[in-house]
Amino acid sequence: MWPPPFKGFFEWVATLPGSQYLREDAPNFFGMFLTIHVLSLCLFLGLVLMMDLRLLGLAHRDTPITQIQKRLFPWQLVGAIVMSISGLVLFYAQPVLYWGKGFYWIKMVLVMPLAMLNLLVFHFTTYRTVAEWDTSPKPPPAARLAGVLSIVLWVGVLAFGRLVAYDWWTIVETGLKGN
Amino acid sequence: MLRPFFEWMYGIGVYKSSIYLGPGINLVHLVAMCTFMGALLMVDLRLLGTGLTGQPVKQVARSAQPWLIGGLVMLVVTGIPAVMTVATDEYQNPVFWFKMYVLLAAVIFTFTVRRRVASADETLVSPVWRKLVALVSIVLWMSVAAGGRLIMYL
Repeated sequence: MWPPPFKGFFEWVATLPGSQYLREDAPNFFGMFLTIHVLSLCLFLGLVLMMDLRLLGLAHRDTPITQIQKRLFPWQLVGAIVMSISGLVLFYAQPVLYWGKGFYWIKMVLVMPLAMLNLLVFHFTTYRTVAEWDTSPKPPPAARLAGVLSIVLWVGVLAFGRLVAYDWWTIVETGLKGN
Repeated sequence: MLRPFFEWMYGIGVYKSSIYLGPGINLVHLVAMCTFMGALLMVDLRLLGTGLTGQPVKQVARSAQPWLIGGLVMLVVTGIPAVMTVATDEYQNPVFWFKMYVLLAAVIFTFTVRRRVASADETLVSPVWRKLVALVSIVLWMSVAAGGRLIMYL
């Protein structure tokens, strides 16, 4: 488990066209893409939290759940796409840095897949009966559980992403920078 | 002018008790930011004519309000100790001052112009005016967030 596997793959990505350029010759690139990542996070996680709080019956109780689900979804998707692209670019520029980050592994292989699994399970099970509790100020326990899990898991993704900036549980390779 | 104040804040050494306090407060700051931005953007999107179009603007704004205020309070509560740890560096950092000035403008705009437009009867406000207010709100608050992220880069 530690040091993490597939080091050769991460080193190979670092040799691809553009990766070395972004890493060594584009000084403003890192701050710029981190900023894009954070701004799209505001859109994605902000609207996801509003939806989850509605599922918990804590916010927007006058608004039907299907309204929140359907009409906020396109904007959550926009946020998620911009976040994924900016995240991929950040990774592409410094793959070996992220390879050596324990928190990055936890975020990508554990917490994010669980958050997505929760989303899919909710959508294909509990959400099927939404017609019965669409306007209910306090949705049934299964929906509230999905809301709590969503908040905990996505905030977990945010937290582990942010923790990547610190030196804890990090294998330091020379010539890398990261915040 | 404010230099002695920033030196005094730095002198307190808020995070001295634990190395986990800094990252911990930073995480709460980010969760508060997401809550605030969610409450802000769902209203701004509605003002732009998208998002929760099935609900009146007034209703969306009313139900977002406690999360907007709560998020902002948590942002300030966690932001102050974050500034205090590096106060003397922040004093000399132009991005920090950019963030503070835009923040001031954003707070004033949000609780005067935007508040009136969002709580007004829809027939009384033209759609163009509503969209303009939403765009200004988004640009102001996204600039605050970007400033926060970039403080340590420029």
